[in-house]
Amino acid sequence: MSSRNTSISYFSVKSIILLCHICLLGVVFFNGKYENITSVLILSVIVIATDLGYFLLLNMISQKTYTLDYLMILLLNITVIYHSCFGGVNFATKHYIITIIAFLACQFSYKFAQNPYKLEALKKFYYLAMVLIILSIIFLTGSRGIWIDIKGLFTIQPSELLKPFFVLVCATSIYFQQEKITLFGFRFVPDNVILFLFAIIILGLQWWSRDLGSIPTFFTVAFCALISRIAYPKGKLPKNLLVTALILILILAFIAIMMAPAYVKDRLFVDIWGDMYGNGYQQTRALIAIAEGGLFGKGPGHGFLHNVAAYQTDIIFSTIAEEWGLVSVILVISIILIMLTTALINNPKCYYHSTLAAGVVAVFVVQMSLNIFGSCNLIPFTGVTIPFISEGGTSMLTSGILLGFLKATQTPVFKDKPLNRKVKK
Amino acid sequence: MRNLKRNSRVITMILSVFIIGMVVLIVKIYKESSFYIVNSGEAYLGYVYDRKGDVLFDQNATPEKYDVNHFIDVGNIIGDESPNMTNTLVYANKELLNNYSFLKGAVNNGKSAIYTTLNHEANKAVYNAFGYKNGTVIAYNYLTGEILVCVSKPSVNPMVGYENLEEGSLLCKAFYKYVPGSTQKIATVIAALENLGVDKLYNKSYNCSGEYYNLNNQSIKCHKIDGHGVQNISQAFANSCNPFFAQLVADVDLPLDGIINSYTKMGYAVNKKESKKNKINGIIYNTASTNLKDKNDFDTQWGCIGQGDTEVSPCQLMIWQSAIVNETGISTNPQLISYVTDVDGNKIEKLQTNYSELLFSSSTAIETKKIMLENGLNYTYSIPGYSLGIKSGTAEIKDGKETNSFLVGFNNDPNLPVAFCVVIENKLETDITTEYLTNILLSSLK
Repeated sequence: MSSRNTSISYFSVKSIILLCHICLLGVVFFNGKYENITSVLILSVIVIATDLGYFLLLNMISQKTYTLDYLMILLLNITVIYHSCFGGVNFATKHYIITIIAFLACQFSYKFAQNPYKLEALKKFYYLAMVLIILSIIFLTGSRGIWIDIKGLFTIQPSELLKPFFVLVCATSIYFQQEKITLFGFRFVPDNVILFLFAIIILGLQWWSRDLGSIPTFFTVAFCALISRIAYPKGKLPKNLLVTALILILILAFIAIMMAPAYVKDRLFVDIWGDMYGNGYQQTRALIAIAEGGLFGKGPGHGFLHNVAAYQTDIIFSTIAEEWGLVSVILVISIILIMLTTALINNPKCYYHSTLAAGVVAVFVVQMSLNIFGSCNLIPFTGVTIPFISEGGTSMLTSGILLGFLKATQTPVFKDKPLNRKVKK
Repeated sequence: MRNLKRNSRVITMILSVFIIGMVVLIVKIYKESSFYIVNSGEAYLGYVYDRKGDVLFDQNATPEKYDVNHFIDVGNIIGDESPNMTNTLVYANKELLNNYSFLKGAVNNGKSAIYTTLNHEANKAVYNAFGYKNGTVIAYNYLTGEILVCVSKPSVNPMVGYENLEEGSLLCKAFYKYVPGSTQKIATVIAALENLGVDKLYNKSYNCSGEYYNLNNQSIKCHKIDGHGVQNISQAFANSCNPFFAQLVADVDLPLDGIINSYTKMGYAVNKKESKKNKINGIIYNTASTNLKDKNDFDTQWGCIGQGDTEVSPCQLMIWQSAIVNETGISTNPQLISYVTDVDGNKIEKLQTNYSELLFSSSTAIETKKIMLENGLNYTYSIPGYSLGIKSGTAEIKDGKETNSFLVGFNNDPNLPVAFCVVIENKLETDITTEYLTNILLSSLK
């Protein structure tokens, strides 16, 4: 895209984003539940001003494509409008602040990950960061918990912070795959062995700290990394190996479920309609809310689900569907899908970035699946967040960082290639 | 490049799985949304009507809109949406009554409705005829399967509420098991006909001296103290002679396995803990059960006479009548819903007559019908004007302290094709009779 074309087309994009947000604010004005018009005005002014602020900021950042940035702006301020309307219009300050942090995190991580050579050169530091986070989970989260409380001011979920580092560890380059060593008669790739060890430690740690919702995410990212490694160097998926791996995984999953503590089994196999006021309460209310919302929703603020625990995190899909309708929430989910699909349109130009992109897509999709399908009783309900849509500082920050990685794979910089690096033919 | 393309394929695969999941989710929500709303406790339910358009259920019924006793005769069969009674038409079919569609959402004045096969006028007449007595009456059209009357007393008045109710008010007892008394002899006649054939059975005659001692020296008494003398099957059926049937069961020509097979084919759970349960438009009804272990033992013989462990639901007794009167050995399955309309008033479900599997041979059906019609002639004075095939029964319960009175049968007339079962609980000499209730039933259905 030439710079001249870019400025013209992005003017249209900016207009569409503004128009979209103005339409949603119009829905809030005409159909929303509010006691004072001022609350709607405050929301409108802040959303439009923030849009303009983001546009200005992007003008200062020069890059090849802005698709992800504009999709992110569209999505972030839609979520600000949503969160400000749950149960009645009231500006969601906390969520608004973390959306800005996520946006900035995205820009920083983009810059950080733009150069694959520099990025992979720092791999030892990712290992170190992961070790530190793992230690913090063991020693700082309390008794097998998942949160660190910072002097009562705010809480951090360290396992969320693990995700971007794990994605970086899972990414690999052809150079790394050719670097083999021999130890005790075994010839192996150190990068793969370290990845395997980290995967085992993290999965064990999540099980230990009862953060079962994160296990499928880490597992899928590790599995994608495994595929990119076992297929190398032929560029072809060895089907037999893949089938064997899948069978082993299924057996392990079965054993894990059988050995799971009673509270986990209760959660996994609950008959939600038979236990409507017990373990099935959140899911049954979530499904009822979707049905009551229908295609176009009850109207902003007119829902019931904001009275149910985790309405803005674990069952956010239903909370939005109830007030804004199924069409609306599917469109919002589609924005994230389009973001991820850009990885197929603006293909990564190097192996390291391509594995990085696969890891990011895996994290986003698994989290969305666990949240949406879990809360709607298609799969066991584990309680994870939808990137950018659910409330949660750590989750939002992590999502911003990961999106920055994805953005970097689409606007790479190939400078400062290490001189000693030679790719074998 | 191949390596890069492969990673793109991985991304495509992950996104595809998610999109497929979303499609499945949307289809699931679309198909199940009515169920979700029904379970929310905030559903707008439509009306239930009888076959003539009289309202049998109105979610917003008040004493200002209806007579205070308008719904009492159908209280425990039609029921309401509350979980106080779950085995009722409304509770079992809340989704059909739900004035909701995913596209329109909840519609306050929607046209979702169930049109039943019941005749409310006849139902009320039978209910009122019980007076202070309790019991149950169920009757249906044995050609089409339409349930016309279903009364269970005591009942509940949904407009009044659920406090201070008499025991048994919340159950439609036509669907639950009773000790059937001598109405069991119909099944025993069928089993004997199936195993011996018509000629051989008619050649069997046994003496009744008022009391019969079996091989285990256990006594089975007859209601006629001086006995009925030597009788054949038809006479013994009309006399409801216990010693005759005990001797028939003990007869070496009638193997116990044969009786068990015939009973099982008819739907009895023989020597099992639980009896089979069937459904009529979502309402569960019990079938029948008994224990038959040793043909020379009192319990087995007593069970084939209709006491002891034998239990049958009035509904099941009525259903068997259709297999007899239709002369097919195949029963007509009962149905309570004539048709259903959706939120826009479109007919979405219509009654279609359907039948059971073969319960017994048609020759057995023809012969049993003949025996029952012969017995029906004894009721010409008490229930005049009909061609009835009938069997009465008296079951002792609570160690003989109470007796339940039964009358099971059919009207052999294509203009009024009705099969029925009438039960009066704890019947005393001075109380109303099953014949009286049958008279009311048939005359109100004319």
